[in-house]
Amino acid sequence: MTTIRRFCCNDLLRFASVNLDHLTETFNMSFYMTYLARWPDYFHVAEGPGNKIMGYIMGKVEGQGESWHGHVTAVTVATEYRRQQLAKKLMNILEDISDQIDKAYFVDLFVRASNTPAIKMYDKLGYVIYRRVLRYYSGEEDGLDMRKALSRDVEKKSIIPLKRPVTPDELEYD
Amino acid sequence: MASKFGLAGGIPERRVRQIWDAVDSRQFKNALKLSAALLSKYPNSPYALALKALILERMGKSDEALAICLNAKELLYKNESMLMDDLTLSTLQIVFQRLDHLELGTSCYEYACSKFPNNLELMMGLFNCYVREYSFVKQQQTAIKMYKLVGEERFLLWAVCSIQLQVFCGNGGEKLLLLAEGLLKKHVASHSLHEPEALIVYISILEQQAKYGDALEILSGKLGSLLMIEVDKLRIQGRLLAQSGDFAAGANTYQKILELCPDDWECFLHYLGCLLEDDSSWSNGVNGDPVHPPKFVECTVSHLTDEVLNSRLSNASAFLLKFQVDANNCFLRGPYLAILEIERRRHLYGKSNYDDIMKALMQYFFKFGHLACFTSDVEMFLQVLTPDNKMEFLEKVMKGTNSLPTIPTKVLGLSITAFKIQQLIGNIDKVPVVEHEALAGQMVDMYWKSLPLSKGLDPQESMHGEELLSMTCSVLVQLYWRTRHLGYFLEAIMVLEFGLTIRRYVWQYKILLLHLYSHLGALSLAYEWYKSLDVKNILMETVSHHILPHMLLSPLWVDLSNLLKDYLRFMDDHFRESADLTFLAYRHRNYSKVIEFVQFKEQLQRSNQYLVARVESPILQLKQRADSIEEEEGVLESLNCGIHFVELSNEITSKTLTFNEDFQSRPWWTPVPGKNYLLGPFEGISYCPKENLTKEREENVRRVIERKSLLPRMIYLSIQSASVSLKENAEVNGSMSEPKISSELKFLLERYAKMLGSSLTDAIEVVMGVSTGLKSSEAFGSDTVDWLNFAVFLNAWNLNSHELSQGGDQCGHTWHNVDTLLDKHISEKARSMESLICFPGVEEVAKWIRDQIKRPEDEVVEIILSSLRKKGQGEGPGLVFRILESFMSSIDEVELGSRISQAVKSWSHVDVARKIVTGSSTVLSEFLRICESKIKSLQALKRQMAQV
Repeated sequence: MTTIRRFCCNDLLRFASVNLDHLTETFNMSFYMTYLARWPDYFHVAEGPGNKIMGYIMGKVEGQGESWHGHVTAVTVATEYRRQQLAKKLMNILEDISDQIDKAYFVDLFVRASNTPAIKMYDKLGYVIYRRVLRYYSGEEDGLDMRKALSRDVEKKSIIPLKRPVTPDELEYD
Repeated sequence: MASKFGLAGGIPERRVRQIWDAVDSRQFKNALKLSAALLSKYPNSPYALALKALILERMGKSDEALAICLNAKELLYKNESMLMDDLTLSTLQIVFQRLDHLELGTSCYEYACSKFPNNLELMMGLFNCYVREYSFVKQQQTAIKMYKLVGEERFLLWAVCSIQLQVFCGNGGEKLLLLAEGLLKKHVASHSLHEPEALIVYISILEQQAKYGDALEILSGKLGSLLMIEVDKLRIQGRLLAQSGDFAAGANTYQKILELCPDDWECFLHYLGCLLEDDSSWSNGVNGDPVHPPKFVECTVSHLTDEVLNSRLSNASAFLLKFQVDANNCFLRGPYLAILEIERRRHLYGKSNYDDIMKALMQYFFKFGHLACFTSDVEMFLQVLTPDNKMEFLEKVMKGTNSLPTIPTKVLGLSITAFKIQQLIGNIDKVPVVEHEALAGQMVDMYWKSLPLSKGLDPQESMHGEELLSMTCSVLVQLYWRTRHLGYFLEAIMVLEFGLTIRRYVWQYKILLLHLYSHLGALSLAYEWYKSLDVKNILMETVSHHILPHMLLSPLWVDLSNLLKDYLRFMDDHFRESADLTFLAYRHRNYSKVIEFVQFKEQLQRSNQYLVARVESPILQLKQRADSIEEEEGVLESLNCGIHFVELSNEITSKTLTFNEDFQSRPWWTPVPGKNYLLGPFEGISYCPKENLTKEREENVRRVIERKSLLPRMIYLSIQSASVSLKENAEVNGSMSEPKISSELKFLLERYAKMLGSSLTDAIEVVMGVSTGLKSSEAFGSDTVDWLNFAVFLNAWNLNSHELSQGGDQCGHTWHNVDTLLDKHISEKARSMESLICFPGVEEVAKWIRDQIKRPEDEVVEIILSSLRKKGQGEGPGLVFRILESFMSSIDEVELGSRISQAVKSWSHVDVARKIVTGSSTVLSEFLRICESKIKSLQALKRQMAQV
């Protein structure tokens, strides 16, 4: 009982019960709207019975050459709808669009090094730790850059882990 | 910024780069120095001037910046030979926009475009200006020019979007859509289309004109291949077919989608809609409230025969059942709920099929009963059951819970579901209080026993059984409402505080606590919890209803001021930047987002909460400065003497307001702001409806804004009126002449009286009547404060006009009236706060508060704690509290793990009681501070008058 569709502005007025969760960041408006204006196919929402918002995913596609990739900026599910593999469904949508529509090489995401539950989940979804980014979160906590190769990256070159950690200023993209 | 630099107005790049770098790193002084050097070399360069203006604006020197910009503009217009580059124009545009002179930036571009009519870059700049101004017609004209110039698809689509905006957000008639269609058709014939978004716009133009057949033809033709995701295409197809009335083909299409996405609920509803030839599931989306969509599909009377209806529904069941069998779909709730919905429809169409509904419900329960969303999933299906059937379902659920020996977390989930169903349909308030209370006890107990399940979880993860404490709180507040024992209410607080000691991130507890503390008068504690929710950005629009209405009535002015400031800043920032984001959508060719962004901005601009905040913010400022007339006048001056607010008051009745608040998370006893069932007599839990309060609220909000937005102006006029009357025959320096003040004030008094349901004469009679004791203060109804305001303004008007005074003391008696009224009101209020109070007036209130605050803390703490202790075995609060306390002696570190054990050990009910006491006295102290400063200013006035 889940309708997954493109996220629209009015959903910003309906996602409070998802975003009140302390691990879900509520960004400023230009952030959401820039994503909507530029990558509407990468911003999806799951709606449940009674039109309740169950969760959503936002992301983008960017990069040059073999770095052309899909990126997961945020994925979150309301407490009430957890443990139903909804995050997996949302991730699959973003992966499919990166793979089939935009022909990207891989999908990546950043996660707090301390967020073990999330890391475990991404691991189950086939993501590997590509590199560690030192003090990525507000100059304090390290972030992990996790990646999953898509069909275009036949040899799975994009996910060979780096040997050393990098600093935020070495990152190619924000 | 590098991309910004060309050879702007003949200035080499390196010279301006330094300046931009300085601006970007906020070194404005340095930037200004560099700019001066640049200007000495290029004194007449509009670009160099624009840069200087930009720096000055950032430094807060708006007037200087504007003067320089105007100078630059003049030079730009004068110098015929100079190349008009986009860099100069866009820099000027930025500064003009920041100075709130959008139109000046636009006119520069207009001029440039007229000088260089074929410059695409300048035309794009001009288009952007019109986007910022929301000038849809000019947008359209500019886009068409660009399209004619280069023939690109995107410019045509810019024009088409601009046309749609005229129809949806402007005054454009629907026949404009025909024009858009014509433009597209012609372009398609010669160039086809290349972007999926362009196709979507084309189809929407046809759809908006109800040309479904044409749209379907295009979708199934060559252009249809632009949509690369099959399901997306099918969805559009299904919608068009259904709208065109071809339900059979529509049902086929939706069937195809369900094969691909068997969990898609919306698609299933459309499928059903097609089968039943009922198009309400499409019309809902068009006419309904997009922010609060209906919870379920209302069914219209079917024109189908019973036989057809039954056979179609049976076919649908058969089709959906196959998804239940497929093992790959083990997490899919859709196919199960779909069967329930089919049975619900059968029932609504008159078939008595309770057994089938029950069977489907139980099947869903056995499969998904352990999920946290089970109860809300089935809520709408339970509504069609009779009370007896509901009880039967509850019994089955209870039995089912016991007979399912599975993994512990699942058992817990099922038990929680059983509690929830019991709350939903169990008539719990009909059972004896002891049993009602026992239910709360069982919930807390279950919470405690399930804690070990969460032993290995990360502290950030939500724990198993967390909901139980919210549910316990709910039951305890029911008990409080039912018995009026404050102890139950305090127990509810203790339970949630306990939960937050175990894990401090549970926002559901925080919201409940916020409301409990507000109700208790400890608003500072409520505000603390609100702050811990970290409500920011768009959540301020949807979530602040929890605290804002309480704060507006409280003496916590500093906190309220921050709340209002943050909220208004967020909204105004968005209104400022929204057009730029719309232009971004244009640039990235996501045309459907263009319309969406503009509509969304309007949705926020018409927000009832935003308008309330805009009115309340200046009123708060006036309250905060009320002790000094000079400061008050300063505030009024910054508010343009309240003129804009009078305009708002005039407009409000004809404005459609939006209600964007998300009320889902509000507790049952206060489903919308301004409604609190606990203040009324106990009516039974089922009495508390959550819905259908919007209409009432809407009228209320409108009334509040209409009245309150007159206040700044009336205060301004009152001050003017009073100062004129004091100076009597002396020359008046004020900007307004005496008769003007009087007549405007009288006009506003008439309006104010009208809002209170009276004519001016009648209203005067009411006020006089109440103050002299001829009428009871009940004549004021629930608008006492508004009547008091009226009396104050009436007095101010009379000071000058003397229309109410006949002989004797010229204006003494209206002063006296106001005084008596205030006196009466305060003494009544104070008496209702504590029966012992018998001396009215500000000084007495202050004294009473001082006494309250002075009460020894320990004494009050003890009163709180004793209300929590159970007296004997009979009725009365204490059971839950006793269970909570018993946990302290039964901590098993091995079972709970050290983190949870430590958290439990740190729990102290005395600390919470103490917090409640200090929280309440913080509010009282703030109130006292206001009273004392009032007294001080009144005394100072008295002294001044004595000297005259």
